[in-house]
Amino acid sequence: MSDTLVKPSSAQPAPAAPKRRRNWLAIAATAVGLVLLVLLPVIIGTEVAYLKVAQYILIGAVGGIGLTLLVGQAGQLSLAHPFFLLVGAVSYAVLSGEAEADLVGLGLPPVIGLIGAVAVSGLLGLAFAPVAGRLRGIYLGVASLSLVFLGLWLGQSLESLTGGTSSGRTPPTFELFGFAFANSEPAPTILGVAIQKQQRLWFLFLALAVIAYLLARGAVRSRIGRAWRAVRDNEAAAAAMGVNVTRVKAGAFVVSSAYAGLAGVMTALWLDLVKPDENEFTGNYSLTVAIAFLAIVIIGGLGSVPGAVFGAVVVYGLQQFFLLGANEFGWFADAEFGGLTAVVLSAFVYGTAVVLVVLFEPGGAAAIGRRLVGRRAPAPVPAAPGGRDTPERNDDDPRA
Amino acid sequence: MIPGRRAAVLAAALASTLVLAACGSTADQQPAGEAGAGGVKTDKGVTDTTITLGVMGDNTGPFKNLGAGLNAGNQLWADDVNAAGGICGRQIQLEVVDHGYKADTAKTLYPQLEPKVLGMVQLLGSPVLAALKQNLIDDNLLAAPASWSSEVLNNPSIMMIGTTYDLEIVNGLAYLQQQGLLADGDKIGHIYIDGEYGGNGLKGSQYYAEQHGLTITEAKITSTDNDLTGIVTGMRGEGIKVLVLTTTPSQSASALAANQALGLNVPVLGNNPTFDPALLDSPAAGALGALYVAASSPPFSSETPKAVEVANEYKQKYPSAPVNAGVHTGYVEGMVWQAVLEKACEAGDLSRAGVATALTTLTSVKTDDLVTELDYSSPGAPPTRGVYIAKVDPAAEGGLTEVAPLFTASEAEGYKAPYQQ
Repeated sequence: MSDTLVKPSSAQPAPAAPKRRRNWLAIAATAVGLVLLVLLPVIIGTEVAYLKVAQYILIGAVGGIGLTLLVGQAGQLSLAHPFFLLVGAVSYAVLSGEAEADLVGLGLPPVIGLIGAVAVSGLLGLAFAPVAGRLRGIYLGVASLSLVFLGLWLGQSLESLTGGTSSGRTPPTFELFGFAFANSEPAPTILGVAIQKQQRLWFLFLALAVIAYLLARGAVRSRIGRAWRAVRDNEAAAAAMGVNVTRVKAGAFVVSSAYAGLAGVMTALWLDLVKPDENEFTGNYSLTVAIAFLAIVIIGGLGSVPGAVFGAVVVYGLQQFFLLGANEFGWFADAEFGGLTAVVLSAFVYGTAVVLVVLFEPGGAAAIGRRLVGRRAPAPVPAAPGGRDTPERNDDDPRA
Repeated sequence: MIPGRRAAVLAAALASTLVLAACGSTADQQPAGEAGAGGVKTDKGVTDTTITLGVMGDNTGPFKNLGAGLNAGNQLWADDVNAAGGICGRQIQLEVVDHGYKADTAKTLYPQLEPKVLGMVQLLGSPVLAALKQNLIDDNLLAAPASWSSEVLNNPSIMMIGTTYDLEIVNGLAYLQQQGLLADGDKIGHIYIDGEYGGNGLKGSQYYAEQHGLTITEAKITSTDNDLTGIVTGMRGEGIKVLVLTTTPSQSASALAANQALGLNVPVLGNNPTFDPALLDSPAAGALGALYVAASSPPFSSETPKAVEVANEYKQKYPSAPVNAGVHTGYVEGMVWQAVLEKACEAGDLSRAGVATALTTLTSVKTDDLVTELDYSSPGAPPTRGVYIAKVDPAAEGGLTEVAPLFTASEAEGYKAPYQQ
């Protein structure tokens, strides 16, 4: 750091570190934002469909944060996210589900099932780590893609675990200390809005997403994050500084897989269903999802945790929002036999967003956000003498 | 940042206290069925002048051609009913949404649609059906699925229209045997997509094979495998006499082309989703002639009087739209709903519970032979077991010509569906 080089004159007291100054505006905004999110079910009221979209965005956010850590921070391209989503969803159903006719179920409490599902996903990520440690860039991307196909095949073959592609299996209702995340009579109300299954799921998802967010920010700012970035930028240099490259790479894959596993459990709870896909192109654990997560990460800005949340809003939220708007306000009403529909339009929107980001702002939404907020960003640091400025590497700034 | 975070936590805690102060319980807000016009009890989706039914179809996904036909069929039925004065003194209104055959999209659209409708006249797609299963049960919402697997009949909210995939195949094989194209002890091949549709069709083959001592060579594929030549080659080696397909239209085209090109030339049996008239413009057009389609609803070109009437109405209303079997299927979905609504109206209860009860009292719904008579009194069993047999014919509208009128094979009568009591 620069203060080791420039000695402050002893005559003057060292200037109080400006970074200690609190940004009250940001704090207030965060607080208001959190309160709004907590009150979302009340704001939405009876329009539960919009709450369903909001829940869906959180699934994208949790998965996206996991991928942005891996791709942006640790520099490993992975398309295997849907596989770990599937692992998470199936593990939850197996660990906490009841054993039925042809289905394996251990009947553990759902909390244990959720934690176990995250752990299983992480462990499978670890199993893939030897491959991830040997490959780089697009080669790793293609190798990880094989996991999606493996997931497709396993999902179809292991019917006693997954329930099979026909009807799948119903995941157990989530419960926390005897409080079920399901409809009940009578239901508690907040400001006159009944807190039923969907509202409860929203609070659960919000809590999970906030935990996931804070953990990710913590990792990025700590020694772990610095090790990830060191390995990403130059493995030899990182090794020279005492970073165990193999371990750090494996660790990043484990963390990312665990995040995907959590997103998988959320998907199962959101859909009320665990069902492996019928083919590799469509479905909740398919190639389409791999691309969607990559889009989330790129739109948000590689490596940026808040960016991933924004990306999830664009990629996971827009299409669903357009669809609801289409029905409510009669947009695209004339598209009975093909033509421009909500699905087509939202595909264009997020496709365009990816192209624009890559062309004009490789730092993604995170970079745009920093500029809009007008934060005193540190001067771009050349990667090497005469090298390219790399301000787009997000979250290197500990205050970000 | 630590003090800042503390402030944020404090603010959140304060806010949540305020919220908790506003908490209560729904215990005393039980909505009860209200009596509407004509003393008929109603709850959701029914007013004094209208009955609103939902359609969750596919206008943008892999089944958009069939989906457009189905939606049009639903609409034609609603128009006809309304022109004749409606049901129970009320006009029928359809609330149509498009999920593009995606379960996640459907899951979001459902809560928006649900409060507005009494039931669903069409719910397309088995992944969608699987994802909405619990919702339908929770909301006691009756839905007619546009997917015909007998595996979904354990859901009391499902009103199957017509017969199921397994029975279509059983009837189809029986027809081929009647025609002398298949004999006891023969070998047959069955190519199926892994999933509800393909798997359920396979159940039919397996049952029929058991009855007649047939040996089946099975081949499981995924819905994106598009070249089936290798599989058909293998089956030729096995010496199959009949090839059964529960595949997508483009896969059927590949199998049929291979059937001809390899000189196998056996009759091929499929059901409704196996064929799409668009195949007649594909390179495989010349090889399609071997395909027999067993389906519970008539082909578009059927001579059945009601089918002709619906087909003419469709061509008049949507002159440039694609022509396929979805039109009749969509229309017949409406007709069965009509029977249910009329029964519920007679009982003076157009609430969701009333409609569900009305369904189980229906023992012989007639649809002017668009499908065989339907019996909804035993949940878990397919309501009917009859099919039409059609053959590919480029000259016919919709590409299929009826070769056997509605019939039910004796083997089909004896078949026990997975959830049949």
